[in-house]
Amino acid sequence: MIRALIVDDELHAREEMAALLAENGVIEVVGSCGNGIDALKMINKLRPEVLFLDIEMPVVGGFELLNMVTREIMPHVVFVTAYDQYSLKAFEEKTLDYLLKPVDPVRLTKTVAKLQQTIGENRRPVYQTEEIRRIPCLLGNRIRLIDLDEVEFIATTFAGVHAATADAEYFTEVTLKVLEERTQLFRCHKQYLVNLDCIAEIIVLEAGLAKIVTRSGKRIPVSRRYFKLIKKKLYI
Amino acid sequence: MDLLTFSLHNVFALLQQMSVFLVIAYLFTKSPFFRSFHIQTLHPRQLLLLYFIFSVFSILGTYFGLQVSGAIANTRAIGAVLAGIIGGPLLGGAVGLTAGLHRFSLGGFTAVSCGISTTMEGLIGGLVHLYLLRRYQQHRLLSPTVAFLTTLVAEVTQMVIILILAKPFDQAVALVRIIALPMILANSCGAAIFVSIIRDQRKMYDELSVTFSAKALKMAERTVAILGRGLDNETAQEVASVIWEETGVGAVAITDREKVLAFVGQGDDHHLIGTGISSSQVKKAIREDRIVYADGGEKKWRCSLSEGCPLGSVLSVPLRVDNELVGTINLFEPKNKLFLVTNRTLGEGITKLLSDQLLYSRYIEQKNLLTTAELKLARAQVSPHFLFNALNTIIAIIRKDSDRARDLLLHLSNFFRKNLKQTGDLATLEEELNHVQSYLVIEKARFEDRLQLEMDIDPTLMSLRLPVFTLQPIVENAIKHGISAMLGQGVIRLAVVRQSGSVRITVEDNAGNFIERGLKGLGLNIVEKRIKNLCGKNHGLEITCIPQERTEIAITVPEGGCG
Repeated sequence: MIRALIVDDELHAREEMAALLAENGVIEVVGSCGNGIDALKMINKLRPEVLFLDIEMPVVGGFELLNMVTREIMPHVVFVTAYDQYSLKAFEEKTLDYLLKPVDPVRLTKTVAKLQQTIGENRRPVYQTEEIRRIPCLLGNRIRLIDLDEVEFIATTFAGVHAATADAEYFTEVTLKVLEERTQLFRCHKQYLVNLDCIAEIIVLEAGLAKIVTRSGKRIPVSRRYFKLIKKKLYI
Repeated sequence: MDLLTFSLHNVFALLQQMSVFLVIAYLFTKSPFFRSFHIQTLHPRQLLLLYFIFSVFSILGTYFGLQVSGAIANTRAIGAVLAGIIGGPLLGGAVGLTAGLHRFSLGGFTAVSCGISTTMEGLIGGLVHLYLLRRYQQHRLLSPTVAFLTTLVAEVTQMVIILILAKPFDQAVALVRIIALPMILANSCGAAIFVSIIRDQRKMYDELSVTFSAKALKMAERTVAILGRGLDNETAQEVASVIWEETGVGAVAITDREKVLAFVGQGDDHHLIGTGISSSQVKKAIREDRIVYADGGEKKWRCSLSEGCPLGSVLSVPLRVDNELVGTINLFEPKNKLFLVTNRTLGEGITKLLSDQLLYSRYIEQKNLLTTAELKLARAQVSPHFLFNALNTIIAIIRKDSDRARDLLLHLSNFFRKNLKQTGDLATLEEELNHVQSYLVIEKARFEDRLQLEMDIDPTLMSLRLPVFTLQPIVENAIKHGISAMLGQGVIRLAVVRQSGSVRITVEDNAGNFIERGLKGLGLNIVEKRIKNLCGKNHGLEITCIPQERTEIAITVPEGGCG
């Protein structure tokens, strides 16, 4: 059975897709969710092989979601959309397939066959990802998109990844690795990314270590390994 | 006896030179200057010109004079007096002084007295001018009687001055005896005739321009409404008939770029409607996009269709709409008749007017087209997203609740039926709400808990007339850009209430996304345009947005409805 996650902001659309997949019998739906943030969390946790992904979703759309998924666990993607104005773009992104709502079961069978073949041949999905400009963060039941310019640094702790701005910290589901790859943020420590534009001061410590003081006065550690790279980057 | 003969002879001689004056006066009235001049409002430049003209008259009067016992019997007074009457004491005085100085320079025993008296005469004319102005009798400035009497008085004064100033006295008396009667008579009559020539010419010009204006205005009035319907065979025929009747020319033809649309008047037996343009002049007017005129004299117009065609001259004027040549208007006169300049001017003027009228009709037509197109566009705006998402929702619901699915399908068909219905510009609030209701029921099913609806509608306003298709685009806008972009609970609130003499319709959502999106979309722009078109310029769309909190789109319409 192929493990799939359904992501669609409409309840009935999710249920219908789940019902169709159940009828098909090849795919096991391991979860379904209604927005990009939940989807990111579930992808990280459940590691589905396939994503049935709605393109038009509030705040974080389908394309944006894919930008935030770590390459190693990137599932195959089948876009599901009501209107095919995005189909061309979907193909450019080399998605596996796309389905139009309402979904025709016969068409779905073909998609599933394609999935089986691709997964059977053990081909990895390759997506051209774009640079992330805004980081979606959870704030109560709202998602806030934090502009990268505002972010001073990103830290990962036992509680998860959080983005620090001058006056607040927000939790995000986007991993440190993804952010390092797809933003201008710079790795300065195993657990930290720093926005080079927000560095106010670098305090050099013993043994090749250092501390960065951000513009708002927060201190973050710099490890020996990354300090060299930072010095090079900043022409010190 | 001897004296009397001499005197009579003098009278004839003076009358003779007066005639020379009158010819000059006549020529003066033909000059372009005369056409532009009004006695009541003389500019300094015109005064200067009048000074020269009358001074020359006056001096010529001296030269044409008869030598009588060491003095000159003359018509110098006419110029000075008339200058005074027409231009006031300053002009009169100046002309009198100039002519007087000139006379003085010629010498003789009356040199001094004549010099002074001529200045006096100019001033007397000026006094009459002032007197008439003060009594608000400007119209009598060009009265022959006034001119006659003033000159009479002036000439008598001159005689008195000669008697007083000329030395020796008895020689002066003898002179006056001889010249008094002929000079007084000749000058007075001359002035009166001069004035009446000026007056008649003026009158003729005025009357001519009055008839011309009346003709032009009447023609304008009769044609203006016709071309409002556009240029076709029928309207062209009507316009041609009006021009033909009003100008009285031999024939009138209207063409488009290729063929004759209308022909009225002489020669209509062989100049047939619907045939191609045959006249080389008309073709030239179209090809070169300019007025072509064959006056029947040097340039003749020859009918290419029939040897017996009575027409011999043509004025062909291009008819333009917005700089694009659409046809010509042609005026013809028969071979035995002169093509009047007034008709030429009228023909050109009326064509200009008709061009404007055609432009206006095109504008109106396009405006109507635009409104219709906008409505069509508004209907076409129904997004495919809505349709396919609705169908997808219903398909999902069929599995669980077929009754609800059936209900939703009925709403969907109601929604589309309302969309397709295209009758008129206006709909009642009830019809609009019915349309929106179906839309919202479907969207509610799509979003389920994510969408909550609140309605506050004044039931007494149900028959209020609105531009059709006003509410739905606004509600759709709130769903599409508001609710569907929200993660949490969305609320849409629709209210229709009376508010200080108008009705306020508001659609509010709790997403507060409008500012992020910036400008109004096409849908809302069309709604606003149609409200302004159908309800009045003061009505329209008002948008308030508190980011992340609420967006409100409000429409105000007259309490009595639109249309």
